[in-house]
Amino acid sequence: MKREITRSIAIAAAAVLVASSATAQRGRGAAPAAAFDAHDISGYWELSFDSRHVPPATLAATVTPAMRAAKRKQDEYATRWCNWIGMPAAMDATRPIDIRQGRREIVMNFETIATPRHIYLDRSKHIDKDVYDATTMGDSIARWEGDTLVVDTVGFDGAKGLSAIPGGGFRTSDSHLVERYRLMNGGGVLSVTFTWSDAKVYRTPHTYEYRYYRAPASYEAQPPIWCDPFDEGRAAFLTGSTLNGAGARPRSSER
Amino acid sequence: MRHSFLIAIVIACVAIADDHLRAQQPSVPDIEGTWVRLDTVGAGSFGAVNALTGNAVLTPEAAAAAAAGRQGGGGLRLGLVADDDKPHAAGQPYVVTDGNCMLPGGLEPNSSAFHIIQSKDEVLIVRENPGLHRTIYMDGRTHPDLSRWRPTAVGHSVGHYEDGALVIDTVGLTPGGVAGGGRRTAETRLTERYVPSPDGKRLTMTYTWSDPKIYQKAHTYQITAERQPAGSWPFEDWCDSGDPTQRTSVIPPKQLP
Repeated sequence: MKREITRSIAIAAAAVLVASSATAQRGRGAAPAAAFDAHDISGYWELSFDSRHVPPATLAATVTPAMRAAKRKQDEYATRWCNWIGMPAAMDATRPIDIRQGRREIVMNFETIATPRHIYLDRSKHIDKDVYDATTMGDSIARWEGDTLVVDTVGFDGAKGLSAIPGGGFRTSDSHLVERYRLMNGGGVLSVTFTWSDAKVYRTPHTYEYRYYRAPASYEAQPPIWCDPFDEGRAAFLTGSTLNGAGARPRSSER
Repeated sequence: MRHSFLIAIVIACVAIADDHLRAQQPSVPDIEGTWVRLDTVGAGSFGAVNALTGNAVLTPEAAAAAAAGRQGGGGLRLGLVADDDKPHAAGQPYVVTDGNCMLPGGLEPNSSAFHIIQSKDEVLIVRENPGLHRTIYMDGRTHPDLSRWRPTAVGHSVGHYEDGALVIDTVGLTPGGVAGGGRRTAETRLTERYVPSPDGKRLTMTYTWSDPKIYQKAHTYQITAERQPAGSWPFEDWCDSGDPTQRTSVIPPKQLP
């Protein structure tokens, strides 16, 4: 009996030694485990040429040519002056989007001229519109339905940023956006279905899908592409006047 | 024999579980949320920062360079009107900023609220006003070769958790000034320790600047932030460079003798 106990202790000690060694190898600084968590969309996500499935929107009869022209002018102004672009333009970024999921909140950080997007997991109701100052990103709350993250956003400021919505239509202060995020292909692809509702803009809710590809784990965040509102050459380019032979003038930072 | 193996497996499992608990749970502080910097020293005074940070002890070379306005950071902050540095008579208005909303961002919290989000591989710190936000890599990567790195206002940061603190190591910063009369270059190292109070309502951030070319001893100071209540939401600090009122002008008052 005594010999058996001694042998048990010896085997246990060996097992602990092996286990500790394995743990140490995975210690701080080691690469994260490759296990795929369907409920964590953290990562750098980028669009490719085949990422967008955007059917044409069915606009409401109330959308007049004058409304369209006004919105187009708003977007031209926002582009000209490097205003924060807001939703949905930020989700159409040409650079990877850094999405980080915490315990209570998801933040999206963009490598473009946009404020970070905050999506709250610990709140089931929107902020009362009487106290919420509308923004280009809106007030977003989210919940998991199975393996799909459903994000609900209201509180947009229709007068600021880039308002154009892919497929037609535009963001207004009454817009309601529902997004459905779902990881695919073992976590390598993030499908996002956007559905915009706005009785003044759409006859029926307008839905389209983007599929983002996960950037390599070694990706390093980059500063946004610089936008200089006082670069006269850029302004001339945006208005098309450089097509008439006018050369770009020096950027304000070079003056 | 079978009995021995069972005992061994149970002991090993307990050891592994204990190891994991000690390695992960107690050392990772919950600092996720919205925070606002507290300035409880020297409020309302331009000397408040030095009261908070103390004065950096510079090497003679760095002190001379700072006095001569060299060693980087000598230029105007973006947005300030570059050619208007001459004296102005009382009542003579002049423009001091051109309204450019493209600000560089920064390391320390400013008057805006800031948000910390802790994900598995990365911690994000984002302010509610314009500028670069901070990315802290928690996946064990190292800093890049600085000869291939373009310095920024937030540099390159890597971090880890240690004894209940988030420890951040940053290099690759744009040359310029540091609170308390300090200086920095891309090679200067900043170490930060973020420690929440036991009740989670306060966050103490300790900043330590070290660079043998600049500091005779490490330049250390603390900033405290207060957690905003659950249910808080971010403000959008809107800025429009096309808005003429975004430009700031000054009309010097008549000076008293």
